[in-house]
Amino acid sequence: MSAVTSRTSSTSRTRGRRTRARAGAAVAALSVLALTAACGSGGGGEGSSDGGGTTELTMAVWGGDTDKAAYQARIDMLEEEHPDIQVTLQLIPSDQYAQKVQTMIAGGDGPDIMQVAENVNVYSSKSQILPLDGYVAEAGLDLEERFGPVGTLYSYEDSVYAIPDRSGAMITYYNKDLFDAAGVAYPTADWTWEDARDAMQKLTVPGQQWGYGGAGWWAQWWSLAYQNGGAIIDESGAPTADSPEVVEALQWANDLTFKDHVSPTPAEYADMGPDMGGDPAFVAGKVAMNTTGFWAIGGLEDAGFNWDIAPFWGGKEKAVTAFGSGLAISRDSDAPDKAFEAIDFLTDAKAQEVIIDMAQDVPANLEVQNSDAFLNPEWATTPINMAAFGESADHIYRAPFIPEWNEMQQAFTDNLETFWNTGGDAKSALTAVQSQLESVVRTDG
Amino acid sequence: MTATLGEALGAVRDARRPGAAGRRPRRGAPRQRLTRRGRQEAGWFWLFISPWVIGFLAFLLGPMIASVWYSLTDWDSFTAPEFVGLDNYVRALTEDPIFWKALWNTLYYAAVSVPLGMAIGLYLANLLNKQVRFRKLWRTLIYLPTLVPLVATAMVFKMVLAPSGPLNDLLGVFGISGPQWLLDPNWVKPALVVLSVWGAGGATVLLLSAMNGIPREFYEAAEIDGAGPVRQFWAITFPQITPVLFFNLVMGLIGAFQIFSQVYILTGGGPNNSSQTVVPLLFREAFEFYHFGYASAIAWLLFVVIIGFTAIAFGTSRKWVFYETEVR
Repeated sequence: MSAVTSRTSSTSRTRGRRTRARAGAAVAALSVLALTAACGSGGGGEGSSDGGGTTELTMAVWGGDTDKAAYQARIDMLEEEHPDIQVTLQLIPSDQYAQKVQTMIAGGDGPDIMQVAENVNVYSSKSQILPLDGYVAEAGLDLEERFGPVGTLYSYEDSVYAIPDRSGAMITYYNKDLFDAAGVAYPTADWTWEDARDAMQKLTVPGQQWGYGGAGWWAQWWSLAYQNGGAIIDESGAPTADSPEVVEALQWANDLTFKDHVSPTPAEYADMGPDMGGDPAFVAGKVAMNTTGFWAIGGLEDAGFNWDIAPFWGGKEKAVTAFGSGLAISRDSDAPDKAFEAIDFLTDAKAQEVIIDMAQDVPANLEVQNSDAFLNPEWATTPINMAAFGESADHIYRAPFIPEWNEMQQAFTDNLETFWNTGGDAKSALTAVQSQLESVVRTDG
Repeated sequence: MTATLGEALGAVRDARRPGAAGRRPRRGAPRQRLTRRGRQEAGWFWLFISPWVIGFLAFLLGPMIASVWYSLTDWDSFTAPEFVGLDNYVRALTEDPIFWKALWNTLYYAAVSVPLGMAIGLYLANLLNKQVRFRKLWRTLIYLPTLVPLVATAMVFKMVLAPSGPLNDLLGVFGISGPQWLLDPNWVKPALVVLSVWGAGGATVLLLSAMNGIPREFYEAAEIDGAGPVRQFWAITFPQITPVLFFNLVMGLIGAFQIFSQVYILTGGGPNNSSQTVVPLLFREAFEFYHFGYASAIAWLLFVVIIGFTAIAFGTSRKWVFYETEVR
């Protein structure tokens, strides 16, 4: 869900990730409860193969019009080169995707191919999607070679459950005009926290303009925590949200707003307009730098100022959050071998190029990320430093995609909300988070 | 429509009164065979009522029964439910501080927004009931907020409630320094109440048409007896519209306990669950955390709470709700 949900999250970061559904109220919730029950014993998936004929597959993805066009174009390529496979695309609005797929699977009618992201292990831990190691080996697919470190990102208990499809690191957007006016050198990957803060201070005009959009969204401050040598969940699966490294990073991020005043406070954002945050504030020229994903490029095509992107800065180490999604096969698929064949094709260079040609997202395939089609996209109205994505790829940290991902995010959102709104002590805020995480996260594996 | 609603409420009472039933002569023995025409009519009856009956059985009763069962299980919606007895209820009532917080927030919201909404609705209706100029225009304007989609309303309110927004500017005129409404745990619930009051005009239209249904003679008689406007309101208008007020109270209570969209769109339950209410909580548990059993238990606990308060409302109604048809 990252790419799309993050859009809402970054604009109103105090909300964390929250799928926004239509107002259904209790009755709706209750009826869905039983609908799923009523359909529970229903027939299997729709994928059916009749001997040597064509195999019909369904593929569920989330997004809007651009996403629909991009996925459909890739499916058309697939059907042309694999005439024995026919794919029906089901595009579900992002805010309803998780519930729709949940209902489909619970009803025994899951899609053959489904898009997954941070909450992939909700499905894998409950055996609702298939482990793909066998298929990967059979197809002779080298995940490391095709995707780099994110190749095995969607894994659970040492098995791969989804093949990366879209994957782009968080990057720094900067307003060249404001940098030039303040006489500050453009951001680079080599910046340290101190360099970044110095630049922000020079770029801030109290009450009017801020150096940075803020680091209150998990994707932002977790990058800092991992740069500082911290981790949210350690190797053994136990939460370590209150370690000194994480505390220091969170305090630094919050101080940017409440001590250094180089980022707008939530109150200042609220005064700028509804659902205001770093992304729209950057477009409006209110903040000189903003860290977010690929999707913000779309909103900047008509920006009235010069801008560019750079890799995120670093701390003691280099670490950056990536946004992306993968393709998985649900347990309901009647033709998982054909579904994997389709996924293999869709994540190969040829089909992946469509993703960047249509300005949808960053393709996960490294060959495409380093291709001319990606580095000099046809749709770009100004030269964009697209190499920033490839340069960041090696530093993407392994975010803890635990089965309780949504609950973990909620624990952070709840306990840090006042801290982000009014400032405060990172240590005590994270102590509260940690104790809640300890009851949420099953450490027995 | 409301005049008829008041009458309908009265009519139900009427039918339930033992004397009323006696007034209607019964046609023959209870199990008398239907005539051909009677059978035909019965057939039509079942035909026309069938969408509702089928809808109720398939989409409401079935799910309700199923959710009772799920509330006794640990179920993630994917794997088979596991029976855990009353664990979900015990957990909600004894272990989960967020459930109690959400329940308290919901009670707070219902306790403030329902009476306030009724009082404002009644006040506006009484104003419009006078012979004011542009009455139809006023009536339309007062009802209009009810017609605006909630998402649009919420967006506007995010601006209105901004720390330096119009509402705080207005308060500033009176020398009051307004709070950071949606960002402050202490003020986010009043902010939700403010949003609910904005839609109080919906009740006004119902009350206004009930007021229009009051016979003029009552007021004329009162005037001759020397009753002023205030006395007229409390002695005539108010008692005459109590059935509609009662209707508004019951529906308002149920609606307030089930508040969802306002919280979901405006605050997301924050900061730190200080505006979290029960229905968004159960939605989150079911569809974001995959705790369907627990969410079902919360749904039934809320059902009990709503039934309880509705029963209290009905219990007290004999004391203050006036049905003209019951006057002996």
